[in-house]
Amino acid sequence: MAGLPRRIIKETQRLNSEPVPGISAIPDEMNCRLFMVTIDGPKDSPFEKGIFNLELFLPEEYPMAAPKVRFMTKIYHPNVDKLGRICLDILKDKWSPALQIRTVLLSIQALLSAPNPDDPLANDVAEKWKENEAGAIKMAKEWTLKYASAKR
Amino acid sequence: MIVSAWYSYIVLRETVVRKWPYIGPAIYRFLWHCINTMGNSCISKDHRRRTLEHGGTTASGGNGSGGGRYSETDYPSSHSTPTNHNSEQSGQSLNENRQARAQVTPLYMLASRDMAAAQPTFTSDISHVNSSDDEETEHVNQLMLRTLQVIRTLVDNEQEPPYAMLRLHEIAETENGWSKVVQAMIRVIPMDDPLGPAVITLLIDECPLPTMETVQRLYKALGISAHLASEAKCKPQRHRNIAAVLGCIAEKLAGPKSVSLLVPEIIEYLFSLLASKVNPQITLYALIALEKFSQTSENKLTIKKAGIAEKLVPLAQWAESSDLDHRQVGFCARWCLDNVFFVQGRSLTYETIDLDGLNAMLNDNDVSEYLKISPNGLEARSDVLSFESVRCTFCVDEGVWYYEVRVITNGVMQIGWATKNSKFLNHEGFGIGDDEYSFSYDGCRQLYWYNAKSRTHRHPPWKSGDIVGFLLDLDKKYMAFSLNGNILPPESEVFASAQTGFFAAASFMSFQQCEFNFGLTPFKYPPAGPFRTFNEYAKLTAEEKKILPRHKKMELIHQMSISETACSLCFDKEASVTFRPCGHGGFCPDCAIQLEQCPLCRTIIMQRLRSDSSTIGVEPGSTSNPNNNAVSVEETEEELEEEDS
Repeated sequence: MAGLPRRIIKETQRLNSEPVPGISAIPDEMNCRLFMVTIDGPKDSPFEKGIFNLELFLPEEYPMAAPKVRFMTKIYHPNVDKLGRICLDILKDKWSPALQIRTVLLSIQALLSAPNPDDPLANDVAEKWKENEAGAIKMAKEWTLKYASAKR
Repeated sequence: MIVSAWYSYIVLRETVVRKWPYIGPAIYRFLWHCINTMGNSCISKDHRRRTLEHGGTTASGGNGSGGGRYSETDYPSSHSTPTNHNSEQSGQSLNENRQARAQVTPLYMLASRDMAAAQPTFTSDISHVNSSDDEETEHVNQLMLRTLQVIRTLVDNEQEPPYAMLRLHEIAETENGWSKVVQAMIRVIPMDDPLGPAVITLLIDECPLPTMETVQRLYKALGISAHLASEAKCKPQRHRNIAAVLGCIAEKLAGPKSVSLLVPEIIEYLFSLLASKVNPQITLYALIALEKFSQTSENKLTIKKAGIAEKLVPLAQWAESSDLDHRQVGFCARWCLDNVFFVQGRSLTYETIDLDGLNAMLNDNDVSEYLKISPNGLEARSDVLSFESVRCTFCVDEGVWYYEVRVITNGVMQIGWATKNSKFLNHEGFGIGDDEYSFSYDGCRQLYWYNAKSRTHRHPPWKSGDIVGFLLDLDKKYMAFSLNGNILPPESEVFASAQTGFFAAASFMSFQQCEFNFGLTPFKYPPAGPFRTFNEYAKLTAEEKKILPRHKKMELIHQMSISETACSLCFDKEASVTFRPCGHGGFCPDCAIQLEQCPLCRTIIMQRLRSDSSTIGVEPGSTSNPNNNAVSVEETEEELEEEDS
């Protein structure tokens, strides 16, 4: 198909042939630049057993510009705000065109294992996380159960 | 989906705020105008360019005050507005803005011209309002109507952002408030407003996502059931709006949630709206809602099993109807049968359609990703929030050319001429007429667009069924536009930046549709003087005329093979460049020249070495560089670092 860069074709093929454990990224049928993503909450994190939906969009300038990723499932995390936007350096100034969809998603999975309240996007969550970590973790578990458990 | 135009703005805003906090106010205003002008772009582009230029200067020159001064002087009233946005949207500085909000909001209210119309009795938190439910409902209704009205008229960068819309977003932040806002749209958005459904989509897209429980409560409040559809006849507006809202929710919550939300009552309700005696406007949005639910594959199966195909086959026959409401339903039904719900034994339209004599059409390989093109390549429609664009297959360099467009829907479309250099930035809301390589006519807002700026023309607003004529004289260097034969004075602005290589081109806002005539059939209002048509001069092979359904295109993608020695970044061209000093390689010259740091180790690139030992690009430290000294220091440091490691 003309118009779709080979880089995107290559990544799509590889995501299909060698999927990453705990992560799925399926291209939208209508738009080859848009991926419907699910990430399983990492083991031993407050997000364990949750299944989180995200959307990932490859802008016109990709791979010279970073993909746009956001959580579609509500999540209680200091680096994710209520609109699902993610604070992660590789999605911003630390982007490198050698990074790929799969590496980005792995980084997001790692962010779930290791929340970073010192670089917050959701300030109220981050404060809670710093003041009362146990309470915050409890809250994150509740949200995971409430919003991210596989209902069907 | 949808990576909406708004979503892009959020990302952009975030980036800008992080990088250049001092130009915040300017960018907020720019963002608001993007939204206000609904994807048309306009102003916004100009703002963006100016703003980015500033960022650039400041970053290299280290002079931050310039940016700050710029934003203050250029937007004297901006200080209150952006703070308000900030407080709502930028989580980064949420706390300080919370404090700021209390002081700023009243100021802003005074400053806003919309304020007078938007009920001053309203306090900042809906849950604390003591007034009765009725009053509150009426208030939200008013805000909704105001938003609709304001969005129609905002095309100019000097206008205030719509207070009403801002308030609606604020109200929708609580689950309860979200329900109120959505119910207000269902109540008050009128049938005949060309932007009605587009405003529904825009508002829902921008509000926080509702929880499952909230949507289920909404179902209950609306009394969704198969039986409900029977009142569609006496309340067409309500049901058109319910269907439009359901479509947006399905799209926003695509995935497991959308599966849980597609309860049997919803299917029954939407299906009963597909009956041929229902008002076609309602049928249209019910069909679009089903299409959006089907973005989740499990739903697609459920809807198929419920018998969607039998419902759609008769509707698809309306695709050529002369009743334009029916025609839209027919277009969408046929598109769904070809792209989403396949019927055993029904051949896809592209396989059977007779395209003899057709030599120019909309280019299926030169289109932004969501536009729906008819199998004969002459009709197009958008049902998404982004600003979708397309060019024709045939390019003209000299002579006099003419084509016509029949307006099927009377909302925002920018139709005209564009060269290959014109970019489709659909998610950012830029289309034809929004750069220096294109010029367009917008019959809804009665504007011309060039270089992302608009100015009014003298035509009345277009109506469904109107014929717009597009004349391009490349010898005398002018364009002329006509509405039902009424010709406007010639325009020649675009020739300042583009001389040849023009294509017919168009951009579509949500739920807009039009039909092109490139000369295959006689024109309704041919120009008086001599002219040529694309259809008589162009030529297309049978293969080029095929507009493949999406799934066929996907199959092609999966079969495509990629060379082993291709560039590791674009996978397109051969890898031939290695970077110095780090030594990483595997890049093509095109990618290499765009990089300042090695993508693998982030070392600053000093030299781009080709396999034949020649170098490309300007090397830092060469004599042409005015900062020669600074760079050589850096270079030495880099080398030292390299040696250390």
